Amino acid sequence: MNSIQKKILTLSAIVLFIMVLIWVVLIYYNQKTQDQYNRILQRYLQMNEVTATSNRMVTALNNYLQDPSQLHLGELNESKRRLQEAQGQISRLQNGGNAFTLTNYVNLIDSFVESTNRSVKSADEKNNEDSLNYFTEATRFSNYISDTTLTLLDKELKTYDQFYRGIIEQSEELKKLGLWMLALITVLLLVFTYWFSLSITRPIQKLTMAAKELSRGRFDLEIEVPSNDEISFLAKTFDRMRININNLISEIQQKAQLESELQKNKLLLQESQLRSLQSQINPHFLFNTLDTLSKKAYLEGSEETSDLLASVAGLLRYNLKRLDRSVSLYDEVKVILQYIDIQKARFTDRLRFVQETDRSCFHVQLPGLTLQPIIENAVIHAVEPLEEGGSITFRVRDGEDAVIVEIEDNGVGMPEDKIRNILEERVPVAEGHSTGIGFSNVVRRLRLFYGRDDVIDIRSELGRGTKVILKLPKERGIGYDAQAVNRG
Amino acid sequence: MRKLVILLVSALCVVLFYFTLSSFIKVFHYDLTVPAQSGGTPPRYRLVLITQELDTPFWNKVGTGALQAAKQNGAGLEVWGSYGKNREDFLKKIEIAIASHVDGIIVQGLEEEEFNRLTTVKAAEKGIPVITVANDVPMEESLRRTYVGSDHYKAGQMIGRRLLSDMGTAGHVVLMGSNREEDYQRRRISGILDILKAYPNIRTEVVTAGETREEVVQKTNEIMNKEPNVDAFIAVAANNAGAMIQEIDKRAKVEKYHVYSFDDSPETLRLLKLGKIDALIEQSPDRMGELSVKLMIQWLKGESFPLDYNGYFTDIRMLRAEDLR
Repeated sequence: MNSIQKKILTLSAIVLFIMVLIWVVLIYYNQKTQDQYNRILQRYLQMNEVTATSNRMVTALNNYLQDPSQLHLGELNESKRRLQEAQGQISRLQNGGNAFTLTNYVNLIDSFVESTNRSVKSADEKNNEDSLNYFTEATRFSNYISDTTLTLLDKELKTYDQFYRGIIEQSEELKKLGLWMLALITVLLLVFTYWFSLSITRPIQKLTMAAKELSRGRFDLEIEVPSNDEISFLAKTFDRMRININNLISEIQQKAQLESELQKNKLLLQESQLRSLQSQINPHFLFNTLDTLSKKAYLEGSEETSDLLASVAGLLRYNLKRLDRSVSLYDEVKVILQYIDIQKARFTDRLRFVQETDRSCFHVQLPGLTLQPIIENAVIHAVEPLEEGGSITFRVRDGEDAVIVEIEDNGVGMPEDKIRNILEERVPVAEGHSTGIGFSNVVRRLRLFYGRDDVIDIRSELGRGTKVILKLPKERGIGYDAQAVNRG
Repeated sequence: MRKLVILLVSALCVVLFYFTLSSFIKVFHYDLTVPAQSGGTPPRYRLVLITQELDTPFWNKVGTGALQAAKQNGAGLEVWGSYGKNREDFLKKIEIAIASHVDGIIVQGLEEEEFNRLTTVKAAEKGIPVITVANDVPMEESLRRTYVGSDHYKAGQMIGRRLLSDMGTAGHVVLMGSNREEDYQRRRISGILDILKAYPNIRTEVVTAGETREEVVQKTNEIMNKEPNVDAFIAVAANNAGAMIQEIDKRAKVEKYHVYSFDDSPETLRLLKLGKIDALIEQSPDRMGELSVKLMIQWLKGESFPLDYNGYFTDIRMLRAEDLR
């Protein structure tokens, strides 16, 4: 059943019960008093009945003596019967106070009846004198009966005096009781109703407050309504709704964050593509020209120039096509070597390149053009500014579950804050003349590709050199495939 | 504020509850059992004590004694009677008692034909025993079972002897009696006369007056006019003593007369204290009531049968003025 309904029903039931109870008690007492009054009245009436009947009987006797007809005898007998009936009733009215008088009374009636009988008998025997005497006696007895009735009534009043007073006082007291009870019940009901209505409205108030808070946008306040009815249920549901909304909001926030990251990624790619496009001025023409130059140099006997031109063309081609897909370490290493060839042509002996590679690791996949920018960076910082040049060591070795690629130079080293800038992927200050793709671009792409942050580490000592360590996992983690990114 | 309101409301509740509860207790406390239900078996014997002189000190005492005895013996007793010697009423009461078939009637004797008829014919017919108390009636005429009361003849003798010792063997004595022929009065007078007749020098005169004060006063006047040398007055009927002494006092110093009376009523006792009465006979009314009831019950139970027809005498005592002073 409905709980609030139950509460209301309970209240009504209690009120009803109290009212019925009072009603029953009052009715009961009223009835009792009424019965008592009736009984008392009955006594008086019965006593009076005796007097009246005895008087009637005297009249009947007189009539009979005057005119001894059957009719009058019938009347006489009728009144006699009624007198004896009344006598029987009277004898039941005995109590402690009137036992003596009542017995006298009953006997007196007997004597009266006897005198009457004798009078009738004497009259029947035509003994008029005796008949008259007995008639006189009967009349006297009738008077005595009246007297005794009065005495009895008097005694009755005396005996019942306390009782009557009791009844009067009780009814008086009952009236007072009624008033007091009315007052008490009124106050109690008012208090109870107030308390009861509070038990309904207070949860609603709390709920209202909670709703207000929610509408203001505060989703973190718990809604608590201590009650056991529907309001509590409502509050619980409301609370669940609040939690759900809260969860949804945080989910949306997370998604938005991801979205913004993706957006950033896309921008980075576009940037690199743009850069590469800028350098792509009619690539076929450039390739063909470079090829032609290379052949011509070869024909003119300048083989070295020819090789150099071929390397430049290869690097360019790689640069243009490998940017948006993953490549094997082998391909990357090849490009590095071509790039080193080109740079060696420029720096000659100033650039010393040491290669320590484990060829068994060359199958590892990695995003295109990730190693070349790092090597380029090393060339720019470790070789170019120094007159005596520098050495770059390139190592590939097998870690346990990753391939470790190290690029070490012996240049001036990198300041701490710069390393931090790179590792935290902040936009670097453009410096030098790279092929276009910045160090942080590489870091970013590597992390996205493998889906982990520890893929790159930079160690540097000022004046002693810099070491960039890449840990390329053999199994690719959850990350963003460059292709997927490209499509987005 | 809230606390104050709560406090006030609860205080109000408590007060109202207290009044309601006390009222409730009061209402339910009333013991409204109808007396009829409190029962009471009718007494085994219903006796009535009937007198002509209700509410006189003497008869009140008789009544008290009788009621006590009745209570002790488990009998019911009511004192009926007439006020101020109303004979008609008195006889009516006797007739009611007989018609009511009471078990026993204890009655103040009255010498009258109707009284005798009621006691002999009516009561005997119904088999109701009658005992006379304080005043006797001749047994032959009334068929009473017995008499309980003072021996009036002896009382008369005591007064006579007392008179002799106070007055000496010579003098003029007036015996003031009632004009109603009462047995007790006759006995008292004969008691006195029996003592005094041995002394020829004592002249006695029996005077009867009516019941009322005026009649007594008139009679006293008359006798004092006629006989100025009276030495002693004896009020044979005690009710006459007051009026008589008052009248004597008006004419001469009452102290010089020898005045005697019977019955110790408050009036005579006062006069005795004042020394206006020399001596009076004190009876034992409560003993009379008590004894009469006891004898009646004994007779009804058949314990003492037959009763002494001559009667059972209760104590009498001479009260002298000098004893009270």
